[in-house]
Amino acid sequence: MISRKYLDIFCREAHEQLALLQSGLLALEKRPGDRGMLHELLRHAHTLKGSARMVGLGDIAAITHRMEERLKEMEGGTHPVDAPGIDLLLKGADAVGLLTAALVKGEPPPLDADAFVADFDKGELPAPAPADPVPTIPDPADTVRARVSTLDILVNLVGELIINRKRFETKTDTLRDLLPELPAECRPRLKEFHRELEDDVLYLDYLIQELHGKAMGLRMLPLKSITDGFERLVRDLSRDQGKEVRLELVGGTIEMDRVLLEALKPAFIHLVTNAVCHGIESPEERSAGGKPSCGTVRIAAQHEGSSVLVCIRDDGRGMDPERIREAAVARGIINGADAERLSDDEALYLTLRPGFSTSETVTAVAGRGVGLDVVKQNVDRVKGNIILKSAVGSYSEILLQLPLTLSVVDALLVAAAGEIYAIPTSYVQEIVKLRVDEIESAAGKDTIRLNDAPMPICSLAGALGLPEAVPSPRHLSAVVLKLCDQRLAVTVERQLGNSEVVVKRLGAQFQGVRFVFGATIMGDGNPALILDVPDLFDGGAAAPALRRPELSLPAAKKVLVVDDSITTRTMEQSILSARGYDVTVSVCGEEALERALAGAFDLIISDIEMPGMNGFQLTRALRDREKTREIPVIVVSSLSRDQDKREALEAGAQAYIVKGSFDQGVLLETVEMLIG
Amino acid sequence: MSGPGSYDIGGILGEMREAYWAGVAEQEEAPGEVLEALLFTLGGLTCAFETRFAAEVLRLPKLIRLPAVSEPVVGIFNLRGEITAAMDVRFLLCFDAPPIDAKGRLVVVKGETFVTALLIEGALGVHTLPMDAFRPAPGAAEERFIRGRFDHEGEAVLLLDLPALLAAPEMLIGAQK
Repeated sequence: MISRKYLDIFCREAHEQLALLQSGLLALEKRPGDRGMLHELLRHAHTLKGSARMVGLGDIAAITHRMEERLKEMEGGTHPVDAPGIDLLLKGADAVGLLTAALVKGEPPPLDADAFVADFDKGELPAPAPADPVPTIPDPADTVRARVSTLDILVNLVGELIINRKRFETKTDTLRDLLPELPAECRPRLKEFHRELEDDVLYLDYLIQELHGKAMGLRMLPLKSITDGFERLVRDLSRDQGKEVRLELVGGTIEMDRVLLEALKPAFIHLVTNAVCHGIESPEERSAGGKPSCGTVRIAAQHEGSSVLVCIRDDGRGMDPERIREAAVARGIINGADAERLSDDEALYLTLRPGFSTSETVTAVAGRGVGLDVVKQNVDRVKGNIILKSAVGSYSEILLQLPLTLSVVDALLVAAAGEIYAIPTSYVQEIVKLRVDEIESAAGKDTIRLNDAPMPICSLAGALGLPEAVPSPRHLSAVVLKLCDQRLAVTVERQLGNSEVVVKRLGAQFQGVRFVFGATIMGDGNPALILDVPDLFDGGAAAPALRRPELSLPAAKKVLVVDDSITTRTMEQSILSARGYDVTVSVCGEEALERALAGAFDLIISDIEMPGMNGFQLTRALRDREKTREIPVIVVSSLSRDQDKREALEAGAQAYIVKGSFDQGVLLETVEMLIG
Repeated sequence: MSGPGSYDIGGILGEMREAYWAGVAEQEEAPGEVLEALLFTLGGLTCAFETRFAAEVLRLPKLIRLPAVSEPVVGIFNLRGEITAAMDVRFLLCFDAPPIDAKGRLVVVKGETFVTALLIEGALGVHTLPMDAFRPAPGAAEERFIRGRFDHEGEAVLLLDLPALLAAPEMLIGAQK
């Protein structure tokens, strides 16, 4: 395939030559005896023909060849220089213009060159179809050539800027956290400084995003740049197979990272080859089945968020789940009982397993023994996903969910085994909170039920072969991962939210480290590993059973909630009880004090404004009494003034939560921080 | 031919010969070949390699563990934006492995195809070692990465064969995948 660079150069040249041809022909029409002009036109047509041949554009070469011949005939006097002759040549120039415009836009040729040439020879050309104006080819003076490696370095440096911005953000947050610890007289100036610094970081963030977008744009290429040769591939394969197959490409102008496209090209070739060889039936079979004798393979691409969806669909015989099950069992890929348990949709995914040959199962045509597992490996490598759909006798559809680029990915950050890991969000289905008793064990494997379906669960640390922390006795946090039709829940110590992370490749010393796709640099300057989720699905099966907390769970911690509002009281009680705390409620400060002295509470959560003894007074009273002096107090109030917070802390409260910003997570985090 | 105005060609040649040999003798007494090396402690021993392989010496940064890898890799760290491996090569050298304390350092070294960092127990600085104090290693299997020993200020210094060490298959991480 001719590189896009040369095609671009040709298009620029064609643009100039066509303009000269058109103006020259119009001039010749006015001065038919101008032999100098005739010779000039011959030279332009000849140059265009030669250039088209150089870049393999046979259609344009054929048309310009005929134009050159006609001009020679005019020069030799065997054909008159008259209006019909000029008209014919202008239509030739229009046709070349149409083909070039389509080339620039990455669209299929808008006319049949063979038919055009035949009509040209007969002098019977119809009026040309109205064409879109030829897109402006950038003036060569406005463009410069750059080495791809230079662009890669540019993108890497922008990645460094993104990392550095994160470090700035972290330091700005640290400054904010330090403010309360500083002497009161310093705070106003530092607060102002902090606010200005936040503005600067925000503006820097905006600039870096712009810069990143532009730098990435330099590395993007249209999908068509790798599918250009597919028409020929389909034509040759279908002839070999005695089939009639038409290739349709939609969305060929959608741009993706060059590195990613290069990595995906083998997968596309596999899929198109499989569709022609194994999907599309022979013309006789198709006719007998009431289908048109010519089959269609359609490649359609479209954007979806920060991903590209590429669908390769053929209207052939489809994939038969029953035959796939039989072949998978026969090849030892799955046992009979497990195969029977699979739904028809799930059975399709057996074709992605190593050792599965589509040629012997999906179709009766002997193939090359190339399995879809190769495609899966390619797609895994670029952090994409595959979705299979099919209807027997009707169609097969392979949907590839692909990232636009591999240099920056959206990732969920989690903590496990004392480290931070980034999981590309394209693999994350959801995050769930679990109680330990929701985990079922059978034959050494742990499962949970999600949406009424069983799902394997393991600890992320265990799957990675790292030491596993004993989970909290009350609950577990698990990330549900998806890969094709598979799901796997991995427990983590904490989930730290989503972030756009810059992907740093591991260097030449790293030869395919298992479970790791790359690394990113966190705000503190330390690396965090980006996990290779397909490896986790393999590793999850081998992961040890989850470590369980001691069976004799410690008695639930006792919490006293004091609030005169029934809504707040009930809500807090409900949140805390759901998390396993033993909650007692009081409606006023006096009652709370009485209960605190009579009972053995681990924590007290109090409102401020209550009838009678308010929250400040209650806290002071608790601190004044030996029995309750050490019980932590959290004040939850709608009062948000600094002086209220200060008074609560001076009275002896350990934490202050403003109801306006109140959410379940903040309350639970604060409670857990104080009493576990 | 020994009259006035004549000269003793034999004497002149003799003087020239003596001058020549004196020059040669002076050259032989000139300082011998030396090796500029980074000295450090590894496995409780004093080791060295040529300074041309060393890029820098770092205090121990936070090392991030890699899953599913075994010795000698101990983790990765951020070397000015490049993800770099920290390697503990003591077991490859059949050395003891005392705990790394506050004196522990990483020496960043440049191999033919990659840059990596070696975990050392302490850096002793750059020294000039005279080659005439060098005795090549006998070539025992357990000394495959040791070129020989220097007697340096009354102490033995092991000269590591760094190119051989960096080319060892064990230095490639995850190659077993």
